Amino acid sequence: MKESLMEIIRCPIDKHELELAVEDREDGEIMAGMLSCPECGETYPIEDGIPNLLPPDMRDDAAA
Amino acid sequence: MTADRRIDGDGETAEPPAEDLQAVYDRIADHFAKTREYAWPEVASFISDEADRCGSLDRALDFGCGNGRHAQALAEAGADVVGLDVSRGLLAEARQRAAERGFEVDLVHGDAARLPFGDDRFSQVVYVATLHHLPTRDARQQSLSAVGRVLAPGGRGLVSAWSTAHDRFDATEGFDTTVDWTLPGGKQVGRYYHIYDPEEFRADLAASDVEVVDCRLSSGNCYAVVSPPDRVL
Repeated sequence: MKESLMEIIRCPIDKHELELAVEDREDGEIMAGMLSCPECGETYPIEDGIPNLLPPDMRDDAAA
Repeated sequence: MTADRRIDGDGETAEPPAEDLQAVYDRIADHFAKTREYAWPEVASFISDEADRCGSLDRALDFGCGNGRHAQALAEAGADVVGLDVSRGLLAEARQRAAERGFEVDLVHGDAARLPFGDDRFSQVVYVATLHHLPTRDARQQSLSAVGRVLAPGGRGLVSAWSTAHDRFDATEGFDTTVDWTLPGGKQVGRYYHIYDPEEFRADLAASDVEVVDCRLSSGNCYAVVSPPDRVL
């Protein structure tokens, strides 16, 4: 994802602005990293360049 | 054809059950994407009307972007496009399409009823053939209100949902059903749909935080052009 997307995306739960921690950047695109909500403390991974902003109860790891 | 008709779960808390939808679209993404080549004419008209109305397109959201065919149409009309989908498999298809066709789209994995965007962020929203996959009336109305919330003042959204007016249905009232997707080789995968009757579509829009600019039936689908609600400044 491009860093400019930070202006647009919000926490799906409380719509608060998110904080970004970049783990891997390629050609200006953030390929891996973590988005976190300072309001509710929830974190959202950036996987393969796409932010996963599904609410936690809908993520694969919550399906079980 | 009224199989699987049941009473809609009104009053339930919106528990967007897109876990299933996610899994289904992840499973059929590749084949589904191959069968979704062209933008719908109603979407193409909306985009050209918006380009005429606004002079140029600004930042647009393809909400339920699937393989990105409408994101492509928006990008080719000059918009900066964000595409959101619940299916990772479909987002991968959209990314591949963008690379092959040479258009730009920022992709986001997210849920329609809990849209992960700030207020007033988009000048146009295309929310086509997605609303009918949300299994509770609450979730559907929440997603319509979310369209109103993320649209900037002066922005417009296009909403569509499958309707009872379609040739394949003989019902006159809205109902829930499962529509099979047939994969190559014959295997069938069911997808949840709420088929709207046009009055109910209007009622859901009226109950949501959007203003309806235009509402009509076309090709068996309900369409509405919406604008953000009047807000007290």
